[in-house]
This record gives sequence, C-alpha cells and structure tokens, in this order.
Amino acid sequence: MIKPEEITWVKPPTFGLMDQIYLPAIISGLGTTLGHFAKTVFGGPQAKVTQYFPEERPELPANYRGVHRLNRDEEGRVKCVACYMCSTACPAHCIDIVAAPSPWPDREKYPEVFVIDELRCIYCGMCEQACPVDAIELTSLFDLTGLSREEMIFNKEKLLSVFDQTVAMGKDPVRTKAGRLSVASEPAGDGLTDSSSVQS
Amino acid sequence: MVVEFSLIVTLATIIVLMACLNGLVAYLTLFERKISAYVQDRVGPNRAFFGIVQPIADGIKFLLKEDVIPAHVDKFFYLLAPAIALGTAFLAIAVVPFGSTLPPPALVDHRPGSTTFGKMVFPSVTLELEEVLQADRKFSQDSKTPSYEEKLKKYNATFQCVVSPGVDIGFVFVFAVGSLAVYGIILGGWSSNNKYSLLGSLRSSAQLISYEIPMGLSVLGVAVAAGSLNMERIIHHQVENGWNFIFQPLAMILFATAIFAECNRLPFDLPEAEQELVGGYHTEYSAMKFALFFLGEYTHMITTSFLIVTLFFGGWHLPFLTSPDQTGLFAILIKVGITCGKMLAFIFFYMMIRWTILRFRFDQLMNLAWKVMLPLSLLSFLALAGLTHFRPLGNLTPWVMPPISLGLLLGAGLLGLILPKSPTRSHVPNLGHGSGGIGPVCQTNQARLEKVEF
Amino acid sequence: MATVYINDKAVDIGDKRLNLVQVAELAGVTIPHYCYHPALSVVASCRMCLVELGEKTPDGSVQMQPRVVPACQTPAKDGAVVQTATSKSKTAQGQTLEALLLNHPLDCPVCDKAGECKLQDYSYQFGFAESRMVDEKNTPPNKPDLGPNINLFTDRCIMCSRCVRFTREISGTSELHIVNRGTHSEIDVFPGDPLNNKLATNVVDLCPVGALASKDFLYSHRVWNLKTVDSVCPGCSTGCSIHIDANKDVVYRLRPRENPLAQGYFMCDDGRLGYHYANSKNRLSAPKIRSGQEWKETGWKEIVSGIDNDLRAVAAVNPKGVLGVLSPFLTVEEGFLLAQYLKSLSKDARLALGPIPVTGEDDNYPKTRNGQPAKVQFTIRQEKCPNRKGIEAILQHFEGKIVHLRDSLQGEKAEAVFLTGGYPPSTQSWLEPNLAKGISKTPLIINQDLFENAVAGQSKYLLPAAAFAEKEGTFVNHAGLAQGIKRICSGPRKGRTDGQVYLDLLGRKGLLHAFSLHKEIASAVPCFAPLLTMGPQGVNLEKGS
Ligand code: SF4
Ligand code: SF4
Ligand code: SF4
Ligand code: FES
Repeated sequence: MIKPEEITWVKPPTFGLMDQIYLPAIISGLGTTLGHFAKTVFGGPQAKVTQYFPEERPELPANYRGVHRLNRDEEGRVKCVACYMCSTACPAHCIDIVAAPSPWPDREKYPEVFVIDELRCIYCGMCEQACPVDAIELTSLFDLTGLSREEMIFNKEKLLSVFDQTVAMGKDPVRTKAGRLSVASEPAGDGLTDSSSVQS
Repeated sequence: MVVEFSLIVTLATIIVLMACLNGLVAYLTLFERKISAYVQDRVGPNRAFFGIVQPIADGIKFLLKEDVIPAHVDKFFYLLAPAIALGTAFLAIAVVPFGSTLPPPALVDHRPGSTTFGKMVFPSVTLELEEVLQADRKFSQDSKTPSYEEKLKKYNATFQCVVSPGVDIGFVFVFAVGSLAVYGIILGGWSSNNKYSLLGSLRSSAQLISYEIPMGLSVLGVAVAAGSLNMERIIHHQVENGWNFIFQPLAMILFATAIFAECNRLPFDLPEAEQELVGGYHTEYSAMKFALFFLGEYTHMITTSFLIVTLFFGGWHLPFLTSPDQTGLFAILIKVGITCGKMLAFIFFYMMIRWTILRFRFDQLMNLAWKVMLPLSLLSFLALAGLTHFRPLGNLTPWVMPPISLGLLLGAGLLGLILPKSPTRSHVPNLGHGSGGIGPVCQTNQARLEKVEF
Repeated sequence: MATVYINDKAVDIGDKRLNLVQVAELAGVTIPHYCYHPALSVVASCRMCLVELGEKTPDGSVQMQPRVVPACQTPAKDGAVVQTATSKSKTAQGQTLEALLLNHPLDCPVCDKAGECKLQDYSYQFGFAESRMVDEKNTPPNKPDLGPNINLFTDRCIMCSRCVRFTREISGTSELHIVNRGTHSEIDVFPGDPLNNKLATNVVDLCPVGALASKDFLYSHRVWNLKTVDSVCPGCSTGCSIHIDANKDVVYRLRPRENPLAQGYFMCDDGRLGYHYANSKNRLSAPKIRSGQEWKETGWKEIVSGIDNDLRAVAAVNPKGVLGVLSPFLTVEEGFLLAQYLKSLSKDARLALGPIPVTGEDDNYPKTRNGQPAKVQFTIRQEKCPNRKGIEAILQHFEGKIVHLRDSLQGEKAEAVFLTGGYPPSTQSWLEPNLAKGISKTPLIINQDLFENAVAGQSKYLLPAAAFAEKEGTFVNHAGLAQGIKRICSGPRKGRTDGQVYLDLLGRKGLLHAFSLHKEIASAVPCFAPLLTMGPQGVNLEKGS
C-alpha cells in the first residue's frame, strides 16, 4: 500500500498568456534547437554523439538483448532440456523445438531440433526469463545479417556456436538473479538445499 | 500587350531556373538531413565526400530503383498524381521574382477632365488607350519626365529575374496554382486504394483548403499597402517605404504559419505523418514517382519562401546595398544572391521549426486555422484597410499597424484564456470494457459514466 | 431423501449411494483426490481427500468429529456436514501434499504430464509453497520397459495405486504390483510379465502424475499446445467416446472420454494408438483423374463436373449400372448425401454396403486369471468399423434392403462404381481379391479412399478421403448409439471432405455443416429422428423402437 502522504499529485500545467500566444514558447524552443545546432557545428568532434559504426564498434551493456545463444553445460552438451517453456512464453512464436529422449543417462529429455527464427523474434527476452535451466540467453551481439530468410533461421548448432563465440569473446550476458544461475541449472546439492525458492 | 514577350529570354530563364531548382531541391535534402543531424547532436550524412555527393547518389538510386506499381491502384490517376504535384509546384514559381526586378511602368491618366485623372488606368479599348497615351506623351513633354512608352521600352530592355514579368495578378496566381497541388495529393491518396493514403489525402485537402483562407487574407494587407498585386511593384513599394514585415508583423506571422501548413511541414505535416499514416498519400509510391512528390514538396517550399521574402522582406532589397537603379550584370547577380540568401534563411527557419514544435493534433490544427488565424487576419486586414483609407496620422500612419498587431495577438491570447475550453480527451468516458480496460467496470467508472451525457 | 451439507451448502442426494467426493462435486466443491476413481475400488491410500466431517443432530446442532476423514471412503448419509475449507482440512491437505512431494523429483520441465498433472494443480491450490525436506531424495531408477507402450518414471509416482487396481479390476490381467515398503515402494511388474494387455495404456490417463507415460506420446508435444475436440474412436464398433488432441493439423494422441452411454471411462490400445494413419504422408493428397495411363491432378471443379457428367451418361443408358458402395467408415450424413446423389441420377441406381472388416472374436474384459467368470466391463469388438449400423439404416431407407457389395457384384453388371473407402491401413486388405476383381471390370470407377487401394489402378477418378479427425458427422455404434465426431485437422491441403464432395455433386451451395443436416435426415429417414436431440454423450437410436 502506498501511503497517502507519499503521493504527490501532479496537475497538468495551466496555460498562461505567454503560452496562449504560442510565439514566446516557439522562440524559446528555437533557442534550444539553435543551441544544439550551434554546439554541434562549432563544438568540435566531442560535441557529437555519433559513432562511426563499422569502424567504431559500440560497447553494448551485457544485458542487451541481441542474438540468442544456447548454453552448454560443463561437459559441452546442450544445456536445454526441451521443456518448451521458451516457446510457450515466446510472444512471436518463433521458437520451434522437437524433443527426444536424451542420449545421456543423467537426463531424460533433450532437444533434437531447436530452431529460432531470428527474423520473427522481437528480442523481448521472454524466452530467457522462462527457461528453468538458463539454457537460452540473449547475447549482446546485435549486428545480425543474412542474405536469405533461411540463413536467419538459427538451428541448434548455430545457436551453440553463438555460445562458443560469445564465450571466446568474453561477452557473457548478465545472468539471472544478480549473476547467479537459477536453482535448476546449478550442480546438484549446490542450490537445492540452501535455497528457499525450491518449490514444494 | 503592355510588356513585351521575348521567347528566347523566357525559355532561357525557365531552363536555367528549372535546373537550378532541381539542383537546389537535391541539396536541400542534404541541407535538411544535415540540419536535423546537427540539432540532434549527430553528424548526418558524411559518406561520399562528406555528404556532398549524397544527393546525387540519392537521385541515381531513385532513378534505378524498381518502379513498383501496386496491382490494386487506379493506374491512370496513380501516375497522374505525382505529375500534377510537381507540375503545379513548378508553375507557381513563374511569377515569383528570384532576383532583380523593376516595377512595370504605370500608365497614368493625364487626360484633362477624366474621372480617373492622375490615377493608374488599364484601358482595354484601343481608342481609349490611344487617348491616354497621347495625354501621357503631352504630359511628359510638359514636365520633362520620361513618357510611359519610354519607360516601357526601358523596362523591356532590362532583364527581369522572373519568368513572366509584369503579371498584374501576381501572387493570386501563386495561390491559384498552388492550391491545384491539392489535386496531386488527393489523386495520389485516392488512386492508391489504400486506407492510409486516403486518410492522408483527406487530411491534406481539409488542411490545405482551411489554411488558404488565412493565407490569402493575411497578404491582402500587403496588396493594399502596395496598391497592386504585382510582385515587382510590391518589392518596389518596400524599397521605397520599408519592408512590410515591420509594418504588418501579424500578417507576416499568419502568412508564415499558413505557409507551413500549405507545405505540409512540421508542425502541420498531418497528411504524411509517418507515425500515424505510414507515409500518408505517398505510401504506395516508390522510386521516381515518389521522388516527384518529394521534388514537388521541396519546390513548393522554395516557392513559398521566395514569396514570403518578396511580400514581407523586400525581395532583392537590402538597405544601403541595392537600389532599383542598378541594372548591370553585377548588380543583378548581387540581387539574385540577396533574394536567394533570404529564401535560404527562411528555409533554414522552416527546418529549425521542424525540430522545435511537435505535430498538432488534427482538431488543434483546424481550430488554429478557423478560430484563431481567420479572425486575426480579418481583423488585421480591416485595421489596415481603415488606416490606409483615413490616414489618421498622415505619413506616420504605417507605424500604427505594429502596435495594433501586437494588440490583436495579445487579445487573442487573452480570449483564449478567458473563453471556456472545448472538451478535451479526459472527458471521453472510459467504458471499462473493450480492449481499452482490464477488469470489470469499477465504481469510479460507473460514477463517471453517470456524469457523462451522450 | 438424504441431505448432505457441503461447506454449509445443502445438497439433496436422494437415495443415491455416493461418497463425499461425489457429493461435493454435486455441490460444486472440489475435494482433491488422487487414489479415488469412480471406476475403481476405493482404497483411501493417498489421504489427499481429508475433510472435516460432522453430523446434524435432530435438535439442529452440529457435532463435528475430532479428526479428519478421507472423503472418498466415507459414504454420504443424511445430515452429514462436510467442511473442506476449514483450517483443519486445509492443514491436512497441505501436509499430505508435502509428504507426497518429499521424494518427488519436481522435474516438471521435462515431464509430459506437466500442464494436466493433478500434483501440479493441487500443489498450486492446496499445497505449501516451501519444502522442509533436507535429506536427499529417493531416486529409484526409471523403468522404460514396463510394457511395450508404457514407460515408468519411478521417482514421480505418488503411490496412489490406481494403475495397480486398474490391471486387477478392469483389465483383470494383474501385471502391476507395488513392491518394497514405505518410502521405497515402487510400481513394478514381474519379470517376463510386462504390462502388455490391450487396455494397458489407460493407466497413463489414470496416473494422476507423470509416472506412467505413453511411449507413443512421450516427448512429442507439450499438452498445453494441444487443441482438443470430442470425437468417437473409429477403431471398432464399440465406438468409444474420445478426445482427439491435435495441433497444427497433426493428431498427437487420443484419450478416452467418459461416457456411460458408450464405453465408460476407458479405451483400448488398438484404438488409442491406431490413429497414426491420419498423419501419414502416404495418404492420397489430391484428386486425380486418369487419361490413358497417366494420372492428372486437377481442381475439384473439374473433378466434380467430370464425375457428374460421367455418372449421368451411364445412368441415362443403364440406370441399374450405377453402383454406389457405402463404406461403414462414412458418417451417417455422408452416407445420406451420397445415397441421395446417386438416387437423384436415377431411381434404379443401386447402393451396397462396403465390406465390414472383422478380426477375431469380441474381446471381453476383465480377463479372468484365476478362471472366475467376471462381469464384463469393457469389450473390444471384432467388427473393426465405426458406423455399420448407420449406413445400414441409410441403405434400408434408400434401397429397402441391405445389400452387401459381394452380393451386388454377383447381380447385374455394374457400368459405374462409386467406391468409398476410408478404411485404415490395418484393414488395407479390405477389398478382398475377388471383390477387387469384380469391381475392376467396371469401365468407370470413382474411387475415394485414404490410401491407394486394390482397384486404384483401374479407377478413372481417384479422390482423397478425409480421416476421422478431419470430418464431422455421426457414427452409430454396435448398440445403436449415435455420437457426433468433430473436425480438428484440415487434412490434405488439396483434399476435400467426403461429405463436401457429395454436397458439391448434389449441386448444393456452401460448406458442409453436418449437424445442420440432421433435420433433413430425420425427416427423410424416420429412424434417425432421435438425432435431433443428440447431446455430447450421443443418443440411442434403438431405445424408443
Ligand atoms: S526474445 Fe522474445 S520473441 Fe525472441 S525468441 Fe525469445 S521469447 Fe521469442
Ligand atoms: S526453456 Fe530452456 S530448457 Fe526449456 S526448451 Fe527453452 S531453452 Fe530448452
Ligand atoms: S504410477 Fe501413477 S497411477 Fe500408479 S501408483 Fe504411481 S502415481 Fe498412482
Ligand atoms: S482420494 Fe481419498 S484417500 Fe486418495
């Protein structure tokens, strides 16, 4: 509950005479635009915010939502357990998974096919939030191009290679929960006993 | 035929003017992009020799792009629309002076006993013309001043920086042709068979028609002051008496505002508001046809800028630098330079305004035209007409106009404060259902619903 | 007259013998339960249904019992007062759930039951949010080979014993047992005696959690992506009520739908797993017309007018030469439309009933291991088609008698045959060689089937038929129970449902809406009159007569 004393009521500003006749407001507005204009024209290079993109590459924050990656576990296997949570959460319906019994004894299910249509994706990051094992993440790679639609449909191998690439570049995205993985994706015994977030 | 018509000179002027205009438009796009960039702390186009070749590259791209004609359009009108838009824009510039001009000589009636004695006449009957000319010749001999025919000869021998010199309907022609441009927009929007285009063109027609009225009314004062619609004469009047914007500031402001609307420039760019209408009437146009619309729009901008310079800012005149007597090549160049400089300054103003003021809502736009600008321009014109007729302060009379303008402006502002507001959106009932709200109709909504009368 | 008070709401149960779970249902109150199932005996082993119970004494005061009781095991009697939402019952429910979850692996992300799991639902509604378990969980190994169609994820089991009771009471085959004790109890089979009876996969539906899984459906889709319609299993003339679960025109599974008028609660594995042909790539996918030795795909417009012209030409010369073969896989509506069309060509056009596939004997359950005869609970019928009775009624109306294809081929020589199929590939030999030979002599064969059949090579027109998930209509089962089937898949892209083709042939405009035809059918064929009152459980056509 917000207490009444914490609330500040904001009223829409009322018009005075000067606002009514527009012109003073326009002139003061022109002052702003002209100021910026002058600053940019005469202020030298540091006054401009432009980055010269292909030559200068921006340092994007680690929580930027760019191309997806599929994470690998310690043994290099795909971490995804094919639960379809991401594809269920995805508002753009761009994730397509085919699950299969996993070839490894320590899990039951794995994605035989995992496809993201990067053209259809709206980069909302819902998939990342939905994943119970932190297997899917959005990286800060943003300059994604392709010459055909097919090229932009990323399959499992491609998504895993994005993982390898970002790891090699040292550009891991920020993890959920302030840098910690969610419970389910941490090694057994690590997260299960000490955390109260284990559901009953 | 008062003014002699020389085909070669006219053709040459037209060709040079058109070429310059097209080049100018191309570079205005660069100008616009650069200015936008600077206002926003960016650098703007900077490839291809610091952007200098950019417009040419754009032009080549327009020419080489696939010329898509969507299957659902009305082909004939679809193709006609950009041609009309551009054609009318080019036509309008025919009477706008872009540099040195002289006023065409006036034929004054010196026939003794005539009712129009001492006034300018335009005899249409040859017999009458002969009589008047004869009287004029006699008068010139008597007073040792050059006769009308001599003046006319001199006028015809000087080069006038206007495609068709001596047009007495002057800026009425510009308005007439300029309002034809709405046909280009309407046809473009309607023939595109696309709802955004149609909405854009409908907005456009409403807007253009509404703003033509305050625009026409605001410049009537100029015509009254100069005693003519002829633009060369209006410039001459300002050379002799001082620039119109000093004496009719309100008219100038109204005219400038109307121009913004006529050119579909922000804050009045509703016909092509990208955020609302995709691209408005030219949504379905691509490649060169789109370029034609674009060209038309920028040409319109140039024409109107020339117009406001001519009507309110003395045309080629700059105090202490130019005078009507200078007719040499150098003087012509200087005068062209001055006119174009003023025009460009105004275009710069256009572009700065674009980044200064937000787009009006359509009802605000209409309110401004009909409830503010129309009465203001009428009142200001009435005041001016009265002053011109009665001349209460003799030679100082024109100086009465600026305080009246200020008064009118303040009065309008005060009225705006006093008059009850028209209902705003917060009064629209929230019905609590449909896509607008979540959940059931709550108490407050119910209460509010009961207060609203339908 | 007995009145029971559920959460202060009075429910009049008459003289029915109900338990408290059922009474609560009548009152619109859910008492959570795992081990109780209306078709199985009551064991009260899960303790999920604990409620507070009391009694209204004649003087009007209420006497509550000091302890909670399992609702499933408590018969409702007059004056009983049940409280399901008091803190006592709530604590009991929460604690039961906590206990059930002690060893549960909580692997919902990889569990096929997730989304329709009772453990999830009840945990959400009645459970505690936290677990106090600090020890390591039991992780007994999975048993992927419990049966040919069944997988057991041992650690997810909550020991409700529904599955065990099913194999003992319904199938009677008694394969499943509980082995070990206490928290180490597991479901298992004896070595060499896998869970392979013909009703086995019902335990997957019975299992309230994801412990028992169908290998057929395993990991193939998440249940919340599936769309469901009510339908009828076309596998045999029992006509089990089912749900078809499909997504994007692919059938993923069939589930039994509770229907006391039809089969009860269950369905057999033959029917349950026998839907795959509907998804087959080998199905006829587009109408084809033969010119010489070549097949040519054409649009339906040409096909329909071609068939119409050809049939009319034959009917004009030799009305008795037109023979329509109505397959028992057609719905009542389709049969009606086709018969109407052929009879509209000529009164003398002949109609015949397609072959009735029969396999073995009627298979009754429960089986009696110990030789005791038991009350039959479920029958898998030998007649492997869903709508013999319906088509027979149509034939009776239009022909005055039921003629089998076999007989009509021996009669007058047919000049044109309209052959309808729709038989699943398990009955692919439906057109026996001698029948096929008889038909193939006909110059004009219009052949409508799911797959290429024995006379496909001799047909002039080859039309794709619609599978049961792709059409709507009515099937009449062995006992005369008419039930509706509904469409959930769109079938081959260039295909058209059988009924639509007949509608087009009749020259009637618009799309087929089978159930709107009922009025017309009922007035034409009086024995179908009860169709007008058909509800979701169907209506018996033979009851009245
Ligand atoms: S980022 Fe959003 S749109 Fe893209 S795949 Fe994930 S959930 Fe879907
Ligand atoms: S949510 Fe995570 S684990 Fe589940 S399918 Fe998506 S990526 Fe795989
Ligand atoms: S496997 Fe399922 S049905 Fe059988 S006892 Fe366990 S939870 Fe109950
Ligand atoms: S349902 Fe009553 S004890 Fe299981």
